[in-house]
Amino acid sequence: MAEKHKPAPMVDEVSEFEVLEIAVRELAIEKGLFTAEDHQHWTEYMHTLGPLPAARLVAKAWLDPEYKKLAVKDGVKASLDVGVDWVNSMPTKFGTPSDYCNLRVLEDTPKLKHVVVCTLCSCYPRPILGQSPEWYRTPNYRRRLVRWPRQVLAEFGLQLPEDVEVRVEDSNQKSRFIVLPVRPEGTEGWTEDQLAEIVTRDCLIGVAVPRPGKTVNDPRPVRPAINPYKH
Amino acid sequence: MSSATRQKVMRHLDIVKQLQPSLHVETHAPAPDQVDNEHYRAYTRMSHDVGGEPDVPITWEEKEEEVWEHNTFVTCEVLAWRGVWNAEERRRRQNVDVGQTQYLGLPYYGRWLLTAARILVDKQYVTLTELSDKIDEVKKRYE
Repeated sequence: MAEKHKPAPMVDEVSEFEVLEIAVRELAIEKGLFTAEDHQHWTEYMHTLGPLPAARLVAKAWLDPEYKKLAVKDGVKASLDVGVDWVNSMPTKFGTPSDYCNLRVLEDTPKLKHVVVCTLCSCYPRPILGQSPEWYRTPNYRRRLVRWPRQVLAEFGLQLPEDVEVRVEDSNQKSRFIVLPVRPEGTEGWTEDQLAEIVTRDCLIGVAVPRPGKTVNDPRPVRPAINPYKH
Repeated sequence: MSSATRQKVMRHLDIVKQLQPSLHVETHAPAPDQVDNEHYRAYTRMSHDVGGEPDVPITWEEKEEEVWEHNTFVTCEVLAWRGVWNAEERRRRQNVDVGQTQYLGLPYYGRWLLTAARILVDKQYVTLTELSDKIDEVKKRYE
């Protein structure tokens, strides 16, 4: 069968953003501010990031009460056990260049639910959770979550009973947060791997709670890119 | 929050809302008597300080990343790694110095990108002429 081809666009127009990005990067390299290898090195580091270490931290905390205590007391130290060193994991070897290395782990209880936002920008614990989702960066989420958290959580499909307190944690330059949700029923006897699978990115931000059998974020519309980056 | 304070906050947010990017509102450097203290406070609010502002529910979306968005993120991080700017400068420039119109009017990484270009010029690593020549040169590659 003949392969389907998209008709070639009349003008292969490049966007001003694309042009400026190339210009800035090339000028910085030409002027010796950084090398092409530095850029490549950072890109490769980005490829290693995702929510898995944070999910594993939660799973370990569910299984080991001592580790849970450590996680809540010293998130940075607890991160070491899931392979994240907040100083040396990055190519800089001096922590993140955005200058944050203070991870706090927010422990939910049956009567307390945490959810994370960054009202001033979009601070996010990238080394342990990967890149932030687009909705987390929107002014809309940042505007409303601090004032109408129950409504916003309901839009994410999380309806909380009135007797559950909601605590919104506003990230800041030095401190980043992940949520340690309550271990759900129906996971008795599960291994760390099994438990980690149900701790999705959304659970770690706090807009969802883990459920047995649910290993992906709720489906949402995906806005396609014109020239998508292949991860 | 007391009801008087709440009223004050809501009034402030009302005014701030009128400062959203708008291409058809004339505000041609008004005389001092035309800017009362409430408006002064609204104008001097930082554009990134959006927590608590009213807004309507939207559809929560995931988004594919553009190549330029990924590269912009990496460029900004590497510029910091190599000491060209620090976290405070980046925040100030990306979130505040761009102003309300660009803050709300450009994509997230669009702000980052403009700011990266500006830091090279402001710190005199490149001249504006070098930058515009480079932009022209890159555009020619796509002609």
